[in-house]
Amino acid sequence: MKTDRTITILFFLLLVLIPLDFFLIFRVAPTEKVMGDVQRIFYLHVSLALGALLAFTGVFVSSIIFLWKKKIVWDSVASTCAGIGLLFSTLVLITGSMWARPIWNVWWTWDPRLLTVLILWFIYIGYFLLRGGIADKFKKAQYSAVIGIIGYVDIPLVRYATKWWNSIHPLLSQEGGGLDPVMKKVMLFSLATFAVLTIFLFLFRFRLAGIEERLEILKKKMED
Amino acid sequence: MSFIGDALTILIKDLLLELRGRESLSLMLFLSLLILVIFNFAFNPDKDNVSSMAAGILWVIFAFSGILGMGRMSVAERDEDAYLSVIFSPVSAESFYLGKALGNLLFLMIMECFTLFFFAVLFDFEKIIGLLPQLLPALFLGTLGFALVGTLFSFLSTASRYGEILLPFLYLPVVVPVILGGVTSMDMILNGKSGEAGKWIQLLVVFDMLYLAISLLVFRYLIEE
Repeated sequence: MKTDRTITILFFLLLVLIPLDFFLIFRVAPTEKVMGDVQRIFYLHVSLALGALLAFTGVFVSSIIFLWKKKIVWDSVASTCAGIGLLFSTLVLITGSMWARPIWNVWWTWDPRLLTVLILWFIYIGYFLLRGGIADKFKKAQYSAVIGIIGYVDIPLVRYATKWWNSIHPLLSQEGGGLDPVMKKVMLFSLATFAVLTIFLFLFRFRLAGIEERLEILKKKMED
Repeated sequence: MSFIGDALTILIKDLLLELRGRESLSLMLFLSLLILVIFNFAFNPDKDNVSSMAAGILWVIFAFSGILGMGRMSVAERDEDAYLSVIFSPVSAESFYLGKALGNLLFLMIMECFTLFFFAVLFDFEKIIGLLPQLLPALFLGTLGFALVGTLFSFLSTASRYGEILLPFLYLPVVVPVILGGVTSMDMILNGKSGEAGKWIQLLVVFDMLYLAISLLVFRYLIEE
């Protein structure tokens, strides 16, 4: 059970990494001049966004592999990634909104970046709605792979279109460029922590899917 | 038979079905008329503001009426697994998709012309009929995008036990770039900024080509048994 050992190791690693990350964010990173303490949310927000992107890329790649190889395990990989991506992008929207209220003075604005994440979120909600509606395992895998591919390819289009649209209705905003060296280090640490968290969540959920599968087979055997 | 020939055969089959059953097109037309009336209550457009609202109102109608029509078209194929008999024939999945998409495109265009006409009548906005030659490229390209994505997703949604109810949830988020392109370019043309609409029309061409390419690549996985 190699996966089990990796999961345990990652779990204990995260027990150290996450508190350390929060310590760095709240105690070590300097306070931003203009935005103040609110800016600290960036360390989480950006890391979550990167985790979500990683997960959705995982959905895309494993969906293609599934359609090519027709092995159901790739569907488990895809749907596990989609779950993590959906969770992270929800948190990205929430943390972004919490930051935007004091800084932009609104909870939400129709900025291209925000809009792109929101559309992405809707697409993967649709992904799970469809999965919930199909009983046949293979069909479910096949159809959701199609959404996994189209949804991902659609993202640059949404980004591009909303950018153009927004340049016609000017609204907001450029975030600052140069980062303080300590801030940069904290940001990198936070990104690394969330990358480990993403991998941990993936392995954990994937293992769970395997166990569920085995349970189902056993149940069927008992019925027979 | 050739790729295009097969697609046209499928298109003719759908047209015949529609002529005999009158199932989707009439529903689409009634729905658009109904939404027009509701928009009248909601916004109460008058001569001064109707041109700034027109594009938005019209594309909302196109989207929802289109969903209804495209949903019906694929339910007709899923009923009693009618599509299987097409698949067992020598017609390729790609031609089948293209034929269905062309049918959807045709029905959507008919519905849109009908809606534009009634919009002009009900909201006293004859200008829109005069501008039709200019509106047509953007309208066609936007509708093509609708039909390409809609055909694919209507087959996806009718495979689930929720049926066509699922279509808007899958279809609307993905088709956002097309809606943006369609609304913005129409709005520009109606409000005397036709020059700027050109770049949106180019964008719509790019989107349509991408959607066509991807749909042709993946459609066979939706009807494989």
